[in-house]
Amino acid sequence: MQDIRLRAGAAAILSLAAFTSIPGAAVVFIWWLIFSRPLQVLRKMQMVIPAIILIGFFGLVLELTGGGGISYVLRMTVIILIGAWVYSGYCQGEFLKLGTWLLGRKTGFDLGLVAEMGMQSLELMVSDFTRIRQAQELKGKHFGLRSLVPAGSILIHGALMRADETAELMAMRGYTHGGSYCPAFETPVRDIIAGIAALCMGIIAFIPVSEFFILYH
Amino acid sequence: MKISLDGLRAVRGDWSLSVDGVFTEGIHLVSGDVGSGKSTLALLLAGLFVPLSGTVERESIASAMMIFQFPEFHITGESLESECKTWGVDPAAVLAAAGLAGRKTASPHDLSRGELKRLVLACVLARNYDLLILDEPFSSLDCREKERLCLSLSGRRKGITIIFTHEQACFPRVDRIWEISGGSLHDRGRLPSAIGRWDHAPAVVKDLIARGKFPENISQADLLEAACRT
Repeated sequence: MQDIRLRAGAAAILSLAAFTSIPGAAVVFIWWLIFSRPLQVLRKMQMVIPAIILIGFFGLVLELTGGGGISYVLRMTVIILIGAWVYSGYCQGEFLKLGTWLLGRKTGFDLGLVAEMGMQSLELMVSDFTRIRQAQELKGKHFGLRSLVPAGSILIHGALMRADETAELMAMRGYTHGGSYCPAFETPVRDIIAGIAALCMGIIAFIPVSEFFILYH
Repeated sequence: MKISLDGLRAVRGDWSLSVDGVFTEGIHLVSGDVGSGKSTLALLLAGLFVPLSGTVERESIASAMMIFQFPEFHITGESLESECKTWGVDPAAVLAAAGLAGRKTASPHDLSRGELKRLVLACVLARNYDLLILDEPFSSLDCREKERLCLSLSGRRKGITIIFTHEQACFPRVDRIWEISGGSLHDRGRLPSAIGRWDHAPAVVKDLIARGKFPENISQADLLEAACRT
């Protein structure tokens, strides 16, 4: 999906539908299989499988302690897949476009800018994480769960430092709030079809099944 | 002791790097423009980047280490003392060498990047690795620290040391110069003859050559000796 407005809207509806119930998650999963180019998404987003495994672990704990773990894992897995689809299609600048289109050149611009900076930071954190893992292996340390604490502290510290430096630079360049920006969007037919399908999946997930057979009653 | 690169090809999107060469015992300097592929070659040599084709063969190399441009990636200790211990070196001696004596309980995150770089380099140089790969070791260091690092590196005569840098002012005494340009690694040969073939030579070196004063090597002492030669 090239149009970020449709992609973000569809992602919001689908995530909500998947979170609501297992049937909702099932219909959203079908949508994901049809419209997201699943193989491309999984190839590009290699963190999807580890994230699902992590959710699986929490689900197991939930199932053993109080129940409901399986439902949680199924619903969260579909939400992760939707998130991976949104992220895999990301093009630089599109959240700035979305924010400005949605909420205008002041608040919208600011929120879009924050989202853009967050996305850029996320990309840097992924490459930094690779280097940290390599550096620890060079030191002869097996990268496991115990390595996550020092790695996490380096990543968070680095992200905060970068944010601080960016904020100072922007302030020095005279930025206070808002900005002039005229967003332009491309909306192919396939995006519209996928968007309508996402809306339909949302309606199916939220309206009780019996309502569809009202004429039958 | 040597590391041989045979028909090596690394690809990143539209960009590619072709490498053939043998790095033997001694100090090697690999120079090139920013983005030319120095870090990729360093990763290839360290075995941290999978090439599209070709082989990297290590001979009689029992221990290897690579230092990244950004020192924070190497941090695993909660204090400077524990950080030194994770490298297997004596904290007191290394902290003194890094100019950080008396700060053993400080967190590595409280250091500036320059101080952190000094600490990581001091830890690495306290060990005698057979293969030592340094990616931009001079970045974040001031002139005095660069000179100190050059002295330490010049004193490392055992093992293979490969320095990747676009530094233009301070160099240790090196044995061989390599250059990356046009997507390939070029061997400029041993010093001092390599200096005349060195495209990325700093302005001061080019100026000396233009005046017919060929330095024996590229350390500051060698350049000064050439400049003062009558």
